[in-house]
Amino acid sequence: MTELVFSISLHELCQCEEFTEQVIVEVVDHGIAQPVAGHDVADWVFDTTSVHWLRKAVRLHSDLEIDWVAVAMVIDLLRKNEALEKQNRHFEQQLRRFRES
Amino acid sequence: MEFKDYYKILGVPPDADTKAIKTAYRKLARKYHPDMNPDAGAEDKFKEVAEAYEVLKDAGRRAEYDELRQYGGASRAGSGFEPPPGWQSSSGFSRAGGGHFEGDFSDFFNSIFGGAGGEHRSQRSGLRGQDAEIEMPIFLEETVSETSKLVEYLIPVFENGQLREVKKSLKVKIPPGVQDGERIRLKGQGGPGQGAADSGDLYLHIRLVPHPLFDVEGHNLVVTVPLAPWEAALGAKVTVPTLSGKINLTIAPNSQAGQRLRIKGKGLSTKTGRGDLFALLKVVMPPSANSKVTALWQSLSEEADFDPRAQWGNEG
Repeated sequence: MTELVFSISLHELCQCEEFTEQVIVEVVDHGIAQPVAGHDVADWVFDTTSVHWLRKAVRLHSDLEIDWVAVAMVIDLLRKNEALEKQNRHFEQQLRRFRES
Repeated sequence: MEFKDYYKILGVPPDADTKAIKTAYRKLARKYHPDMNPDAGAEDKFKEVAEAYEVLKDAGRRAEYDELRQYGGASRAGSGFEPPPGWQSSSGFSRAGGGHFEGDFSDFFNSIFGGAGGEHRSQRSGLRGQDAEIEMPIFLEETVSETSKLVEYLIPVFENGQLREVKKSLKVKIPPGVQDGERIRLKGQGGPGQGAADSGDLYLHIRLVPHPLFDVEGHNLVVTVPLAPWEAALGAKVTVPTLSGKINLTIAPNSQAGQRLRIKGKGLSTKTGRGDLFALLKVVMPPSANSKVTALWQSLSEEADFDPRAQWGNEG
């Protein structure tokens, strides 16, 4: 059986091709992702879901040539959009259950 | 191999200056970036645009490309292209971290600028393997039982400079309390690292499969319970399904449609226990009535002092 993990350390993240410590500090400074544990940068731990957003942020920063403030805004809107789409699917489903007899 | 007209791809004339190229790229990148545009085909379009920009934004690469274009590439577009014999790029290419998607540049690009994909990787040998992410559909029942799921996925593997996909399979125990949209990491189950480097990780993107009876609200579940009008009026005992067997639920007299009754501990698993199940009441009219039933409705309408549209005031 394989080990399932819900977190990833800064050190582990920095082994991925697209991340450097500097980039991750920028992303955290702009509120795009928050460490779930660790006071000092070297001890930072992230939850595994935020890796997805970290990757998106790095791609948008580099591919669209936009600064981190703009990336933070885009990520914030993308997250809100995803949450609203999910809520919308939920309400539509509830409405369908209420309508059908 | 097809000749790629990078100017056409960016929609700029061949004499466009760097600023115009940058503007055209940014406009198209915003439109087709797969993180912003979920449409099928957007990613391929973006890759094409990014490749064109990679060449045209750099004076050295652009000059080399223009030379090849002159050499006859543009006029033979679509009819096959080979670089001139002995062609060697002097500007070369190495990608500096971040951005783009894996395996992105075309054969055409690689034939001119020295196989950025392969060379790039071998230059950085000793690199950690790539992470992989797959969607993992889970039935609600599976989140409350101790089940294992077989996961099958493809990972890209580099062998002798060739990229090929290898099928892997794993048994994964569903952890209690997983939520829709969550990503779980399986250490070292992604692409193999080069040399002594670690393998990448596998991320499982949890998707809860829509259930025919239950809706999910966080760790709670909602089940819609249809009631006859007299059950809502007089109260009733109804059998309600849960994820694990059925339970009896008491409906109080004078219940309303839309009312939610809480059944403690029958929701989804959480890290510390179980969420709740909510029974959402819905009043359903019988499809048709015989004359006796119609007479009963008639006498009820005469007896009951009830205006359901009272809140509309006089306009109702």
